[in-house]
Amino acid sequence: MTALLEVEEVRAGYGPTSVLHGISLSVPEGEVVSLLGANGAGKTTTLRAITGGVRWTGDIRFCGRSLKRMHTEDIVRCGIAHVPEGRGILTELTVDENLRLGSHLRRDGPAVIKDYERVFEYFPVLRERRRLSASTLSGGEQQMLAVARALLMRPKLMLLDEPSLGLAPMVVRSIFEIIRTINQADRVAVLLVEQNARLALEMSSQAYVLEVGRVAVQGASAELKGNESVRRSYLGY
Amino acid sequence: MQELLQQVLSGIASGGIYASLALALVLIYNAMGLVNFAQGEMAMFATFLAFTLIDHGLNYWVALPLTLLLAFAAGVLIQRVVIRPVERAPILTLVIVTLGLATLFNGLAGFLFGYVPRSFPSPFSVLTVNLAGAFVSYRDLGVMGVSAVVLVLIYLLLQRTTVGLALRAAAHHPDASRLLGVRVSWMLALGWGLASAAGAVSGIMVAPILLLDPNMMQTVIIYAFAAAVLGGIESPLGAVVGGVIVGVTVNLAGAYVPGVGGDLQLAVAFAIIVAVLVLKPNGLFGHAAVRRV
Repeated sequence: MTALLEVEEVRAGYGPTSVLHGISLSVPEGEVVSLLGANGAGKTTTLRAITGGVRWTGDIRFCGRSLKRMHTEDIVRCGIAHVPEGRGILTELTVDENLRLGSHLRRDGPAVIKDYERVFEYFPVLRERRRLSASTLSGGEQQMLAVARALLMRPKLMLLDEPSLGLAPMVVRSIFEIIRTINQADRVAVLLVEQNARLALEMSSQAYVLEVGRVAVQGASAELKGNESVRRSYLGY
Repeated sequence: MQELLQQVLSGIASGGIYASLALALVLIYNAMGLVNFAQGEMAMFATFLAFTLIDHGLNYWVALPLTLLLAFAAGVLIQRVVIRPVERAPILTLVIVTLGLATLFNGLAGFLFGYVPRSFPSPFSVLTVNLAGAFVSYRDLGVMGVSAVVLVLIYLLLQRTTVGLALRAAAHHPDASRLLGVRVSWMLALGWGLASAAGAVSGIMVAPILLLDPNMMQTVIIYAFAAAVLGGIESPLGAVVGGVIVGVTVNLAGAYVPGVGGDLQLAVAFAIIVAVLVLKPNGLFGHAAVRRV
């Protein structure tokens, strides 16, 4: 099976500080892959490299096409939805306007309407708050909005940067439930960055553990979960 | 009472002119976090363009939209050619660049058209009509009408279209917008184009009143600043409301406050700016900068 996303020997950093020292990973079509590791290991930077938010060398291919020197907005238009660190909610706009920005490039009108129905079915609270400013939403609701908006982009791949951050366990569970549903119903592949390793390993089929900018361990999630020494030394539970 | 009403109405007409220019300032403030000091001079130059078109025998109602289109294109071009290369430069660099643009347009207009004030045609007569006891000139009514139409069109574009939505998103959250596929750089150029066109409206409306010369907009821009600051420098609606309030206040002060007359009206505008900055720095429609952690 061919990989949807291939990251090959990518090095990146901010100014003189290099953060990634040659990362390689791949996300197969329709699969959930998790990217684990301590703070500062380079998880967020890896995602930012994929959508062109940071300069990198090496190669990143999506759908067989190199993303080298492409602008963020063109990469996104290829079918990657990136829910960034901090969720990327446009707080000056309403909930509805945020959602519309998710679907604003789509030309398949009837399907868009159906997707809105689904989004509101998954997250009823967003329907209630449609006309309100997105800044009035709670942290959990903002995360729901971010995932909903990503779904409306109809991507082939979702990059999720710590969707559980700062949320109550109940909320985290329901959001992960829906991410799984989206993955299975639409065959959307997911590259999931998470601090909560236990949760991420349950969700994913493959996992990579980063350590100071390198891939330290990789393998099937089930295996990593069962491997005591990996769990102790890298995942901290 | 009748005179008061008359003063208010003519204040609203000037307010429409200030509102257009203030809206231009706000659009660019949103796009780059800075007021464009060249806005008035760009408007003046566009007015000369309209003058030239009409002078060559074009009908006013053809020349007006044509000038607005040209001003729009020029605004986009200026953003792409002049502003974009320094987009990420420190704010002081941008201030100097826009001041440079102001000097450039002023000098260019002087060079091309000379400094002799010219009378600019208005399609509206200066005859007055009796409106509920107050006498208003057709010209004032025309200025109100044209300003209102332009402001409503820009409002609809920003609030009711996908492009407008993308433009607002790009102005407030460029990084998050890029991740949604918004072409931020082009949206900012579009903002410059719209601002340039809105400014041109104010120039063309004010020219028959002030006479057209390269320094024509230098007082108007102060009133527009006052309007934009009063409305909350980030709010397009605030710019419009601020424009009308400034227009009416300045007019009333000129008529009723002893000593203000026509000469100290500009001081009233400055007083408004200072008062807003001291009492309510976010203006009428601005949001306080609150960040949730």
